[in-house]
Amino acid sequence: MRGVIAKRLLGSLGAIFGASIIAFVVMRVVPGNPARLIIGPLATPQAVSSLNHQLGLDQPIYTQYWLYISHFFQGEWGYSYAEGQSVSTLIGERLPATIELALFAFVITMVASVGLALLVTYRHRPIADRVLRGIAYVGFGTPPFFVALILLIVFFSTLGILPGPEGRLSQQAIPPPTVTHMYTLDALIAGDPGTFWDAFKHLILPGVALGIAQFAFLVRLLRANLLEISREPFITVARGKGLRRWTAFRRHALPNAFLPTLTAGGLVLGEFLAGSVLVEKVFNWPGVGTLVYEAILKQDFAVVQTFILLSAVMFVIVNLVVDLLYAVIDPRVRVHSVATA
Amino acid sequence: MTDTDPAGMPDAVEDDQLALSVRDLSTVFDTPRGHVEAVRSVSFDLRPTERLGVVGESGSGKSALALSILGLIEPPGKVAGGEVHVGGRDISKLSERELMKVRGKEIALVLQDPMSALDPVKTIGAQLQEALSVHQPELRRAAARRRAAELLREVDISEAERRLDDYPHQYSGGMRQRVAIAIAIANNPRVLIADEPTTALDVTTQAQVLGLLDRLVEEHRTAVILITHNLGIVSEFCDSVAVMYAGRFVETSRCDHIFLRPTHPYSEALLRCVPNPEKLAEGPLPAISGFPPDLAMLPRGCSFAPRCPVGREIAQCHESAPERHDVDGPAGPATVECHFAVQRSVEPAVAG
Repeated sequence: MRGVIAKRLLGSLGAIFGASIIAFVVMRVVPGNPARLIIGPLATPQAVSSLNHQLGLDQPIYTQYWLYISHFFQGEWGYSYAEGQSVSTLIGERLPATIELALFAFVITMVASVGLALLVTYRHRPIADRVLRGIAYVGFGTPPFFVALILLIVFFSTLGILPGPEGRLSQQAIPPPTVTHMYTLDALIAGDPGTFWDAFKHLILPGVALGIAQFAFLVRLLRANLLEISREPFITVARGKGLRRWTAFRRHALPNAFLPTLTAGGLVLGEFLAGSVLVEKVFNWPGVGTLVYEAILKQDFAVVQTFILLSAVMFVIVNLVVDLLYAVIDPRVRVHSVATA
Repeated sequence: MTDTDPAGMPDAVEDDQLALSVRDLSTVFDTPRGHVEAVRSVSFDLRPTERLGVVGESGSGKSALALSILGLIEPPGKVAGGEVHVGGRDISKLSERELMKVRGKEIALVLQDPMSALDPVKTIGAQLQEALSVHQPELRRAAARRRAAELLREVDISEAERRLDDYPHQYSGGMRQRVAIAIAIANNPRVLIADEPTTALDVTTQAQVLGLLDRLVEEHRTAVILITHNLGIVSEFCDSVAVMYAGRFVETSRCDHIFLRPTHPYSEALLRCVPNPEKLAEGPLPAISGFPPDLAMLPRGCSFAPRCPVGREIAQCHESAPERHDVDGPAGPATVECHFAVQRSVEPAVAG
C-alpha cells in the first residue's frame, strides 16, 4: 500500500512539474511586454527596463522559473496589475463560485449518466438506448459555450423559466451570510429558502452547459461497461444460484462497473474544477474562469500562470484521491500492492 | 438424499424416477438477422444419478439449452415452448419468483470459463455464502461461513478457512473451477448442468476436476448434464449421450451404443474426428466438410443434409425433416432423427 501511495505521489509531482513548465513557457513566448502593458505606451525605455528588473524579467530564464515555482507553493502568487490586487485575493474571491458550479455540474452529470446508463442496459430499452446514444454523440461533439448559448436562448429568452446570464444570484438579491462561500449551502445554513431557490436556479443552466460533454463521455463509457459486465458468466452464475435478476445485477454487475466509473468520475470532477472559462463567461459567472478570461485579454501574467498551475494541481489531487480509492476498493490492485510493497 | 416433492403433486408419482424430464423445449432469438432457432424441440429424460453428455459443434445450441432449462435466456432470446419437469414438477410455467427457488436448489449450473465465472471483486467466501443464503435465509453468518469452508474442503481446497477470504484472482484456474463446482453443489441439487466445465483447463487439471465431479455427484446422487465437445470426456464420464446438431438432439443413446454403432451420419462423422493414434498414420485427421447451418435460415429438410455423406444426394433428405426413430441396434436402443435410422441401425457400420 505504501508503495502504491509513493508511486502515485511521484507521478502526481511529475504531472504538476510538466504543467508548470507549460504554464511558464507559454506565458514567456506570447508576444507583448508585460512591463510595457503595466506602465503604458508613453513610458520611457528606462522606466520599462527598470520595471522589468523589478519584476525579475531580466533574470535568466531558469531563475525566473525557480522564483515562479517556489513562490507558487508558498502561496505568493504575485500581483495583478490589471486588477490592482494580489492574485491570491482575486482567486480566493472567485474560487468558491467555480467550486460550487463544479460540484453542482458533477452531481447532475453523475446522477444522469449512471441513471440513464442503468435504464438502457438493465431494462433492455432499445429505443431509449438509441436516443441516448444520439444525445451522447451530439453532446460529445458540441462545444460547451455553444450549448450554453442555446440553453440561454431556449430557457431564458424564449421560455423565460430560468434566469439569464446574471451570475450567481438575481440582481436585487443579497448573498446569504458567508459560511462556506457556496450560496446554496450558505442559504440553507441561514435557513433562507428564497435565496437558496434563487441560487439553485442560477446554477441549472451553467451546470447543464458545463456537464453535457462530460455526461456524453460518461454515459457512453458506463453503458458499454454495464453491457459488457452484464454479459459476464459470473452474472449468469449469480442468477443460477437463484438470485433475483436485480439482486444479481446490483451485487455483481454494479460493483464491477463502479471501478472504471470512479476513474472517469475523477477526470470529470477535475475537469469541472479546472473551470470552463467560456461557459463562465457566457453566464457571467463570477468564477475563476471569468477572471482568467479577462486576465488573458490584459496579458495579466501572474493570474494566468497561477490559474494554469492551480488547475493542474486540483486535477492531479482529484486523480490522486481516485487512484488511492481504487487501491482500497479493487482487491486486484490492493493485493498486488501488498505483494510489491 | 431423500427427495420429497414439496408440493406433493398428484401427477408426480409417474415421473418420480426421473430427476429431469424435458419435452419439446424450443428457444428462439430475435436478432436483426432474423429469427434464430437455437434450441429446436429438444426432449430427453434424466434419471437420478444418470450422467448425460451433450456433444456437438460450437453454435449447435448446447449452451442455449442449458440456459433454457434454467429459464435464464435473456432478451432478445426467449423460450418459445416446451416443458421442463424437475422431480415431477413442470417448472416451465412457473413465475420468475418460483423459478428462483428452483435455480441453485433443484438445478445448478457450472460454466465453462473459471476465469470469468466468479465475480472478481467479491471474496470466494462471500460468493459461496451467497449461494447458501439464497435458499437458506435463516442461516446465520457464522454458520454460513462454516458451511462455506466445508464446501471448499469438499472440493479439495486446502486451508479452506483462510482461503475463504481470498479473491478469485488469488486462485488458480483449476481451483476456481472447483469453487464453481462447490457453489453448484451447495444446496444439494437434483440436477447439475455443467457447460464445458473443463474446456478452459489444461489436461492434468481437467482430469482432477472431472475426478472431483465424479466423486461429488456419486456422493450426492446428483444427475448431471455434461455439455462438451470432447468425446473422450463423454466416454469416460457419461452413461448416455445426446448428439446435438443445429439445435436438435439428432441421436440419443447409451454411451456404449454411440461409440460402437453411431447411427446418425453426423454422430459417425463426429466420432471419426476424434484423434486415434492408430489411424493418424493413415493421413491427416478427417474433418466434417462444410459448415454448421445458419440457424436463422435452416434448410427445409434435414439440417445435416447439405453436409451428410449419406443424404447429400438424396431428395427426401433435402425436402422433409426426418422423424424421430427409436431403433434397437446390437449395442442397445437409441433415438435417432434420420430418414435412414432403421436401415443404418441394422446394417454393419459404414466403414470409417
